[in-house]
Amino acid sequence: MKTKVRQLLEEGRVDAFIAYKTVHGLPFPTVFTKADVGVLETWQPFKARYPVTKLLLAQARQNPDKTFGVLVRGCEERSLYELFKWNQLHPDKVVVLGQACPQDLAFYCECPKPYPDHLDYGEAPKPVQESRRLGELHGMPETDRLAWWLGHFNRCIRCYGCRDVCPVCFCTECSLEHKELIPTGKLPPDTSFHLVRAVHMAGRCIDCGLCEETCPSHIPLRALYKHVNSLVEGIFQYKTGVPDGKSPFTMLGEESFLPTGVR
Amino acid sequence: MAERFEPRILAILCNWCSYAGADLAGVSRFQYPPNVRVIRVMCSGTVSPHHVIHAFQRGADGVLVAGCHIGDCHYLKGNYMTLKRMKFVQELIRFAGYNPERFRLEWISSAEGVKFAEVIRDFTEKVRSLGPAPSFEASPRLAMGL
Ligand code: SF4
Ligand code: SF4
Ligand code: SF4
Ligand code: FES
Repeated sequence: MKTKVRQLLEEGRVDAFIAYKTVHGLPFPTVFTKADVGVLETWQPFKARYPVTKLLLAQARQNPDKTFGVLVRGCEERSLYELFKWNQLHPDKVVVLGQACPQDLAFYCECPKPYPDHLDYGEAPKPVQESRRLGELHGMPETDRLAWWLGHFNRCIRCYGCRDVCPVCFCTECSLEHKELIPTGKLPPDTSFHLVRAVHMAGRCIDCGLCEETCPSHIPLRALYKHVNSLVEGIFQYKTGVPDGKSPFTMLGEESFLPTGVR
Repeated sequence: MAERFEPRILAILCNWCSYAGADLAGVSRFQYPPNVRVIRVMCSGTVSPHHVIHAFQRGADGVLVAGCHIGDCHYLKGNYMTLKRMKFVQELIRFAGYNPERFRLEWISSAEGVKFAEVIRDFTEKVRSLGPAPSFEASPRLAMGL
């Protein structure tokens, strides 16, 4: 980080750079400006994860004229692609440096691409293509699946942690707080809470797993969103988290997205 | 003998075709079961997956969304969006463990009063055979109505 980030800041190619600083022995996301180049540290692989692109979005919203640099993992780069496509960030205002994840993190995340396209630091680890949990769920009969989900949903404490940590939850008004749509004053919230969030993650979730990690009730949220994205891919041939294309739900028409066969 | 289960079915119909089709079925006095409650929307393309989820959350046993045939939408391509969203929401409820046959998407024109009555008859019987929809309550206590 020392050389590349320093260079970007000193050459004025970015106004600020979001990277990491060691605080109490742990890497902590930090906004560096030209004044801070002296405290930049040498890059080392690490496993701590933060919603850095969400921090970037907050910074960019407050400083619309500034250009930001950011150090991203594979999933964080995928979230940048989505934020560009959903017009939340401007690609001209973001400079990306990428880091590979440690192999054990990739296994832990069951990550299909544990490294970014722009790889500046580290070696790309082996990806994991299959999700064990999703396989297990697909193999289950419908009625068992309902019981399985309810067994998890009934622990939800409606803390909104899953939404608040999510790098692609960028809305300023959230449907999960829509009083007519999702009944309030009910704990645990009913299934509609989770299904509404699942609808929003279709064509948007970049499978970072932060929601599931944050959830104080250990609800296997990632499997739900992994599945909605596999639906979007299966039905519309749209892949989330890649640089091109647009979510099929953002445009009207487009015959090419329609399922073939009898309509 | 136990009473016959009467399903509650919500039909969301577009103003220009399917609602007119329902109207035609009415004035033509075609018989169809009274289990369906109708909501009229300007175009089926305005129906969000949220509406379908919300209908089940509020206790619908079946949900029908109907609009103009592809190519006939009065807003040109509104029903392409309907098709995309509804195909998706049906698969979503399947994954969550709810029977996707409780949801149906149909194209019904203003001239198809007969088809409207048929769809309602057929769908009502289907949902009747499936029995009451499982509750959306995640708390076992609430799910049992205690
Ligand atoms: S999901 Fe996990 S392994 Fe994959 S890029 Fe993100 S942090 Fe790395
Ligand atoms: S895995 Fe969770 S936190 Fe990450 S993008 Fe998807 S929904 Fe958001
Ligand atoms: S983080 Fe977990 S407990 Fe909190 S609202 Fe989300 S699903 Fe519910
Ligand atoms: S107006 Fe009927 S589907 Fe659009």
